[in-house]
Amino acid sequence: MTARPALFVVVPVYNEAAVLRSTVAELVSLGYKVVVVDDGSRDEPARALDGLPVTILRHAVNLGQGAALQTGTEFVLRSGADIVVHFDADGQHPAAGISNLIEPILRGEADVAMGSRFLRPGDAQRTPGLRRHLLRAGIQVSWLFTGVRLTDAHNGFRALSRRAAEMIHLRENGFAHATEILGEIRRNRLRVVEVPVTIEYSRYSRRKGQSSWNSLNILVDLILEKLFR
Amino acid sequence: MIPIQAILVFILMCCVWLYFARLRSKLRDRVIVGALFVAATVFVMHPAMANRLAALAGVGRGADLFFYISIPGLAFALLLLLSRMRDLEQRETLLIRELALLRAEIAPLLRGSGVRET
Repeated sequence: MTARPALFVVVPVYNEAAVLRSTVAELVSLGYKVVVVDDGSRDEPARALDGLPVTILRHAVNLGQGAALQTGTEFVLRSGADIVVHFDADGQHPAAGISNLIEPILRGEADVAMGSRFLRPGDAQRTPGLRRHLLRAGIQVSWLFTGVRLTDAHNGFRALSRRAAEMIHLRENGFAHATEILGEIRRNRLRVVEVPVTIEYSRYSRRKGQSSWNSLNILVDLILEKLFR
Repeated sequence: MIPIQAILVFILMCCVWLYFARLRSKLRDRVIVGALFVAATVFVMHPAMANRLAALAGVGRGADLFFYISIPGLAFALLLLLSRMRDLEQRETLLIRELALLRAEIAPLLRGSGVRET
């Protein structure tokens, strides 16, 4: 790895034009190279990003967040990335937290750094009640399916070293990719650490984010993935 | 032959004709479908055979036996379809991904050439 590693932030986006500009502008202001993957949005995210120095990839049709992340990751690997950060478009993730997130990778202690909202009591309390219980259940389900047990499940804020990004291939197009990543980490014997992160649950992100019912879809996807791997 | 037998055999023949004429399939699948067609036609024409088979299996009537067999049969067909769907979804994803990456690669070239991006 060079003295200053090439870090790319991959932002999957689907109909998030309302908040996308502010999310991406903050990343750009901190000097990060940003790749936005428009996953077949109908609200023209490219227009929302007009004038910002970012790369925009576009899926011709909506595939899902997992597919968008894989597309973005493949693109940044071709562009010479040393570290890839996955970052949500809805403004939930703290751009200022990226430097902390990538520290274990820079120190050579980990291949993957996963953000966790349950390592600090203050962060955990910010998580809405029902979501907190579902995430706790998600941790058990992820453990059951992958053998990897973390303190948080389905936190999209994560950093991957180039080696990890090359080894992890997401086949789950939807939100089940978050569990699939854990399986890939185990399969490829990658080193993973958790880093405390603060997730901002704004009114917008609560309204726009995953519905609780989606947990069932994720479970079905995981079962199908096990059946038809 | 009673009318329902003629109707059922006609429907079976239509299904098999559609399968062989419209679907490209492996020889193994064609043999299985052909054998199932023959078996189904025999049981439609000779219902007593189905009843004897049902008695051997400990089921009252031949119709009941086929109903019970059809449940796991349909579940198996559903799983096959789901598997095929996931396979198609994977192929679709790869195509759309390659298209997105190609567009990103040629975008700088198009910008200088006067060709409009769509």
